[in-house]
Amino acid sequence: MDLYIQVLVSGLLLGGVYALISIGLNLIFGVVRIINFAHGEMVMLSMYLTFWLHHLYGMDPYLAAIVVLPVMFLFGVAFQRVVVQPILTTSATMKIFTTVGVSLLLQNLVLIFWKGDFRTVQTSYSMSAFEVFEIIVSIPRFVAFVAALLSIIILYAFLKFTFAGKALRAIVEDNAVARLMGVNVERHYLLAFGLGCAFSGLGGVLLMPFNAVYPTVGVTYTLLAFVVVVLGGLGSMSGTFLAGLFIGVVEAFGGTFVSPALKEAIYFGIFILVLLVRPQGLFGMGRGTEEVGLK
Amino acid sequence: MKPKHLRTFGAAIFILLLLVPVFFKSTFVLHIYTLIFFYIALTAAWNIPAFGGQLSLGHASFFGIGAYTAAILYVKYGVSPWFGLLIAVGVSLLGGVILSLPLIRLRGPFFTLASIAFTEVLRMVAIDWRSMTNGSVGINIPFKPGFKNMTFTSGEPFYYLFLATAVIVVLLTYRIRNSALGFHLRAAASDDEAARALGVNTSLAQFLALMWSAGLTGVLGVFYVFYNYVMEPNTAFSLDLFSLQPALNGIIGGMGTVWGPVIGAVLMTPLGEFLRFYLSTIQQGLHYVVYGLVLILTVKFIPGGILSILEPLISRKKKDRDKPKEKEERS
Repeated sequence: MDLYIQVLVSGLLLGGVYALISIGLNLIFGVVRIINFAHGEMVMLSMYLTFWLHHLYGMDPYLAAIVVLPVMFLFGVAFQRVVVQPILTTSATMKIFTTVGVSLLLQNLVLIFWKGDFRTVQTSYSMSAFEVFEIIVSIPRFVAFVAALLSIIILYAFLKFTFAGKALRAIVEDNAVARLMGVNVERHYLLAFGLGCAFSGLGGVLLMPFNAVYPTVGVTYTLLAFVVVVLGGLGSMSGTFLAGLFIGVVEAFGGTFVSPALKEAIYFGIFILVLLVRPQGLFGMGRGTEEVGLK
Repeated sequence: MKPKHLRTFGAAIFILLLLVPVFFKSTFVLHIYTLIFFYIALTAAWNIPAFGGQLSLGHASFFGIGAYTAAILYVKYGVSPWFGLLIAVGVSLLGGVILSLPLIRLRGPFFTLASIAFTEVLRMVAIDWRSMTNGSVGINIPFKPGFKNMTFTSGEPFYYLFLATAVIVVLLTYRIRNSALGFHLRAAASDDEAARALGVNTSLAQFLALMWSAGLTGVLGVFYVFYNYVMEPNTAFSLDLFSLQPALNGIIGGMGTVWGPVIGAVLMTPLGEFLRFYLSTIQQGLHYVVYGLVLILTVKFIPGGILSILEPLISRKKKDRDKPKEKEERS
């Protein structure tokens, strides 16, 4: 029994970070309505940034977030402006190919400049843990979960109470009407992309103390984020959060009781199953998702 | 309708290709030609669902299934690869059925995502299922030359095998595109909803297209593994080699057309080999940077692929020759 609870706890903690990465994607997807195949590369880049800040300047990975967040925000804004904006009105095929091309480009530029080695950040607390009711809780995972939770709450409050947040939600609900009501849609696209990248980037920072980074690490996170977003429902933040936790738990149980090599296979299987049975997701709005291929 | 002299031209090229091994004894030249034929066939097979506007980035799954099935049957159970081919196609079709399940409801990007995820699942299973697949080490085909074992001492038999396969697959895609299925697919690609409103079962058409594609890709997997003697999970289910590459060839040549894949594969395979050999020695990963750029630039500047540039040239000749007929076609 203890083992089950132990696995459940570590799964939930990891799931928090997954939720954060996926909420970034969900924001981008909900507002801009583009399937960004290079989303995982944002996580990869911020992981590398954290690594280099730690490696070259001895910066604590969590402290590195102060640098990584604004950089990723700007990267997201630039990405939207340079890559996404010109292809928004084109066919789905062109959107897929362009973002796949960017993903290929980023992966291999990183490979050229920083080599294919697995890089890790070793801190004094990387291996440390504390015990509650005989359950061992790893400190970096715990910190990651709490920080992810806090930033999700902050993002939620931003979307709920600020004017820009309300405008973003209006675009998610109905792009055309939001535009008619005087929302500068293109400017909010930039904001959404910046925020989405920054939050996913924060996920990368939080993963760094207990995960390795390498050029193709993003492929997994792209798929993972889409699994979570589709499972939770497009446009639903709470759904994404719960789905993130769920996928974290599935991964933990699969890795422990089935096989560590197959843990990803299990949630990809779930992904295909969900797409099949309820493509609008468990909590999704359903509306407006046809245009991107969900029926 | 293709002008008649274009057909003559095609036949002439085919005869010249038949003679290549007679005059060129270099194994490198033969290898490059064989690879080109392989990628023509792979791209043409990948292109069948693209007639219906479906973009798969998961064809490595069918390729890997075919390769593994035949290799396991041969190495473990001594089944001749020619017979194994039939079973491999069957299993690839089964994979096609599984991947086509999401097609009932999914279109566009989400189908693409599902296809990537499907390949990843298979790759992990192939790594994990050691008793069957030998895990990450992979399977080696023992060198026992003989027709029965699909193992040959020289490169020529595979040259002809892949040449024949490429010709058959391209002709097959031509037939499919101009059949009822092809018209249903093209209707689905241009407007799925309108096509369904007119009574076209677009889901069925997409399903059939994927099945053709999966089966043919499985066949290529079998030939490829016996051509190379080795198969391991990260190669067999490689996103780069067997999912992205045919897609790249297709988009560069002209996605959803019959000759686009041929043009794409003929151009990109030698370029790819060149980049792989020369750029990789300078800098690992550089050739994929070039690929990424080519992909982004092609989509931006010639979204219809190279064929969309060539086609007006061919039809202009036709227009000069018989103007009224062209008008009739247009109306």
